[in-house]
Amino acid sequence: MSKPTSLFVIFFSLFIMSEAVFEDQVGKFDWRQQYVGKTLFAHFDSHSQSSNKLFLATDKNIFASFNSRTGDLLWRHVDKVGPEGTIDILVLHGQDALMVVGGGRLLRSWDTNMGGLNWEAVLDTGSFQAACFVAIQDTVKHVAVLKKAAISLHYLTNGHQKWVENLPDSDTVQYQAVYSGGEVEVYVLGVVPNSHLTIIAYSLEDGEIIKSVEAPWLSSVESSCVVIGQGVLMCVDPATLALYTLPIQAEEAPQFNQILLQSLDLEVSLGFQPVLVSSQPHPARSPISEFFLQLGPDHHVLLQLNADGYTIAALRDFQPAFLVSFATTGEKTVAVVMTPKNETACDINLFSADSGRRLLDTTVIFPLDLNGGKPFKLYVHAFLKKDDSVDYRVLVQTQDHALTFIQQPGRVVWTREEALADVVTMEMVDLPLTGTQAELEGEFGKKADGLFPMVLKRLSSQVILLQAWLAHLWKLFYEARKPHGQVKNEVTIETLSRDEFNLQKMMVMVTASGKCWSRQSLFIFVWSQLFGIDSKSGSILWKHYLENVQPNAVFKLIVQRTTAHFPHPPQCTLLIKDKDTGLASLHVFNPIFGRKSHIAPPALPRPILQSLLLPVIDQDYAKVLLLVDDQYKVTAFPSTKNVLQQLQEMASSIFFYLIRSDQGNLSGFRLRKDLSTERIWEVVLPTEVQKIVAVNGKRPNEHVHSQGRVMGDRSVLYKYLNPNLLAVVTESTDAHPERAFVGVFLVDGVTGRIIHEAVQRKARGPVHFVHSENWVVYEYWNTKSRRNEFSVLELFEGTELYNSTVFSSLDRPHLPQVLQQTYIFPSPITTMEATLTEKGITSRHLLVGLPSGAILSLPKMFLDPRRPEVVTEHSREENLIPYAPEMPIRTEWFINYNQTVARVKGIYTAPSGLESTCLVVAYGLDIYQTRVYPSKQFDVLKDDYDYVLISSVLFALFFATMISKRLAQVKLLNRAWR
Amino acid sequence: MLLHGRLSELCIFLQAMFVFACCFSDIESGPIATSGSVQPNGDRFKLEGRAIVPGVKTQDWISSARVTVEGEEYIGFMRTDGSFVVNDVPSGSYVVEVISPGYKFEAVRVDITSKGKMRARLVNFIKTSEVIRQPYPLQLRSSGPHTYFMKRETWGWTDFLMNPMVLMMVLPLLIIVLLPKVVNTNDPEMRKEMEQSMNMLNPNPELPDVSEFMTKLFSGSKSSSNKAVGGSKASGRPAVKRR
Repeated sequence: MSKPTSLFVIFFSLFIMSEAVFEDQVGKFDWRQQYVGKTLFAHFDSHSQSSNKLFLATDKNIFASFNSRTGDLLWRHVDKVGPEGTIDILVLHGQDALMVVGGGRLLRSWDTNMGGLNWEAVLDTGSFQAACFVAIQDTVKHVAVLKKAAISLHYLTNGHQKWVENLPDSDTVQYQAVYSGGEVEVYVLGVVPNSHLTIIAYSLEDGEIIKSVEAPWLSSVESSCVVIGQGVLMCVDPATLALYTLPIQAEEAPQFNQILLQSLDLEVSLGFQPVLVSSQPHPARSPISEFFLQLGPDHHVLLQLNADGYTIAALRDFQPAFLVSFATTGEKTVAVVMTPKNETACDINLFSADSGRRLLDTTVIFPLDLNGGKPFKLYVHAFLKKDDSVDYRVLVQTQDHALTFIQQPGRVVWTREEALADVVTMEMVDLPLTGTQAELEGEFGKKADGLFPMVLKRLSSQVILLQAWLAHLWKLFYEARKPHGQVKNEVTIETLSRDEFNLQKMMVMVTASGKCWSRQSLFIFVWSQLFGIDSKSGSILWKHYLENVQPNAVFKLIVQRTTAHFPHPPQCTLLIKDKDTGLASLHVFNPIFGRKSHIAPPALPRPILQSLLLPVIDQDYAKVLLLVDDQYKVTAFPSTKNVLQQLQEMASSIFFYLIRSDQGNLSGFRLRKDLSTERIWEVVLPTEVQKIVAVNGKRPNEHVHSQGRVMGDRSVLYKYLNPNLLAVVTESTDAHPERAFVGVFLVDGVTGRIIHEAVQRKARGPVHFVHSENWVVYEYWNTKSRRNEFSVLELFEGTELYNSTVFSSLDRPHLPQVLQQTYIFPSPITTMEATLTEKGITSRHLLVGLPSGAILSLPKMFLDPRRPEVVTEHSREENLIPYAPEMPIRTEWFINYNQTVARVKGIYTAPSGLESTCLVVAYGLDIYQTRVYPSKQFDVLKDDYDYVLISSVLFALFFATMISKRLAQVKLLNRAWR
Repeated sequence: MLLHGRLSELCIFLQAMFVFACCFSDIESGPIATSGSVQPNGDRFKLEGRAIVPGVKTQDWISSARVTVEGEEYIGFMRTDGSFVVNDVPSGSYVVEVISPGYKFEAVRVDITSKGKMRARLVNFIKTSEVIRQPYPLQLRSSGPHTYFMKRETWGWTDFLMNPMVLMMVLPLLIIVLLPKVVNTNDPEMRKEMEQSMNMLNPNPELPDVSEFMTKLFSGSKSSSNKAVGGSKASGRPAVKRR
């Protein structure tokens, strides 16, 4: 039995191929942008002079390699999310990149050339502190890893442990740094805060010497000490305003040597903790004896330790200077200093490290973006030119996580907006009409002008159109004459306009709030960013920097007014809510230009529980946003007189729901005329048994075209289309695989009536679900069979409609019929969304994000609870696929072919002007935009339409008729003569 | 006697199978994962294997590939020689997959006992307890590149000519045009022969020709239906008059 069915399924699945991509369509409608996140470590490939590779390790647990000339990603390794995959350190030596991962869990060595792993070693437990290369006689053979209570030495070639030593008194001494200067000893520096410093020297062949130095002023080695010169520890103490030096390798009991900053004529800014910056160009040699001392937010001094190892000479004072860094190429080390030039630019200059002299012709200008963050860190790639002078390129990391790569004399080679690696929510907004389009539209808007003016108007608009067309032709002609490379199709906001089928839209994306700790002002910046991206090309058209957004904020993006209401500008509102306190703020802006609107949002002093967008519009065509606070008072935005009046009239029919998942409480409210509320219903799901995971209504912009389904016997099964239906998903608190369950409740949001309740036993989350039309599809993990399963619930009214004209939750006496079917899905999933089209005629597909990064377009036809187990005449006529337990995954259904989207977090679907076409944006670490045609392109000619064949056949037929006519004439004439 | 011996052997074998199944049954129902907390390495194991893409150099595909254990629960990366190790995996049963945007690999289920014994078997989501052993350490061989794209329907002369409709039209045409030229119809003997063969084809000369019958039928039915329409009209008129 099973074999014929499976054959049948294969046959069917061969039939349904609507979603596949053709090879020549690659990159035609789709684009992908790959991101890596906030840079923690960056290294340029110094292995060979001509190499142009850049290696980044980021806070998203990613190790990536870039081509530094273009900014393109060469390869990227995406590790596990969370603390188990965090990159503690990245150091580069030759072709190998060494990485400590997961708080000292693993030590990895990568082959940077191939992008593969050399080896991976499991480290002993203990939290990671520091790591460094250890060299003997100019060759680096080992790497030392310092943990809280132990130090281990590993071979670079295979990762094997050479030795591991427990550190003495690790419960009192905080070991924070490890240093090797190319000799046979490795030094571990530990500190007992405000008491003394401990230095332990390990010889490579084992054996230890412990030295203890009194240092009552020292609280942390990590933040206030560096090693410079021939193994001299340099510390700065903000309390006594002095520098301390200590030779680490000294044989006898060493002593700190104090040098007061005053004696060097240096002064620390008030309340500023001085910072030291040093550089060790090669692990086999000792660090350079020059170092930077930061004395204030924008005040740095380049200092040098003299050869005697005790005295310090000031080489150069930099004030103002934002950022400083060292860079080494060959034998030369240079100091790189970024100084502010004016409000929109910064200068970057090179200075010789050993003398402090400025190197000529080394100025690079870094453009400051007023809408972006301030520069945060410099990564310098220095190299020698043919005449032995130093040239360099700079990678500037700004506070908004953007990376800018600059070349002399100030050309920005590339920029990467890494904040987009963490998009939390997005919306697509229609582009505005152009002037001519608006003119044409306007013609039909006004009436009663009389015949003659109407004719005139029509003629004038036609003239305008002709003019535009001629201008377009002229432009084409003009551009064709130019050499090919010069023609640039730059997209700017000014030239943006809606295309014929509304396929090009503006993507408004909100990124998660980022955190940036700035050393310069000892202040943590918390921010979030708004981006406006052209959906056709993927270019960033505008960005807006939102300051003071708490790190745990949740966002909701609402389109209050679309572009359809010219001359009123479109209006979007971003609701930013602090997750802990519930306090919220509104940011109102124009989604096309990104500008902040002049409309003042209402002050929200109380925590906000719920927000809802009403279909009510004010006199300026903006939809009304209602915000419910914790005292169940409602604030309307905009709150003009007109709106309040409308709200009063409609109050009795405005309902909303609130969820308190901590109390397992779901309650419904109704608006009163005075904008207070009354509770109507309440559903309590006991929190001891289960917790509410997610609640989802239907999308308000969804259209359902057909009210029912025609069955095999010609009767109609009507869908239960309740617009107020909420799908509530719960998970059991008991995690035992035998007792765990997942519950799905369908609740009417107006009356609180539970329409249906489905419980999946021996199942656990994470549950992904889609609620649309008359169906709910959810996915869960079956703990018994250890597999993922899809379940579909479909609601039908039956063969008769109760009230076919309007749906009212208050007047629906019959419960709907519920059909359910479950299938095995052979892969875990990360997210799920349904396609959406303009009028809902096109069949629906589910877009499923897989952990592999593929986005599967699964026809809803496969998730139909009416799929029969036994094929009958009726089911065949209805085109029902026979039931098969396992859902197929075909690579032809991957809408993003090999353009995988790592860590898909969400899929956004939007209708276009074409009924057949749905716009899809998948975001996660990457952003991928494409179009899908769930029922093929039935309303436009396909892009492979063979114009040549059709026209050649037409012409051939035309000539054939001409010739045959002529022949017939000749024949008739001949016959007449006979 | 011999048969009896065989049977007892079989019994022992079955028993052994049962014991074997019991060994693994404890992990079948065991908790899947205790994620988050980093445990000492004692009860965590490493999963090893090797992936091969025939005919492709390792450096061409390893940088984009990775090994996932049960979704993204545990992740391993490919070594430069195509082998891989996933460290820190607790005991349990996992689906191990090599994910590469370029090449297809079959997934394998790996069972790890609490003592660290490993077993690899084919993934079967329908019969979850079925065991078809696979080699461990895993040997994963790619079955070729993924097929992401559909082939475009291309227009070619051969496709056009081999179309059954076209064949049906063209062949009779050829017969009509060519046959009279090949066979000399003016030859009286030949004509006789053909007439004979035609008679052979049509054994009963009294039976009406099919085409003739059809035309008769249709014309007849048309006339009858015309009549019927006329009749109804005729019957309708008096009714109108009667009113």
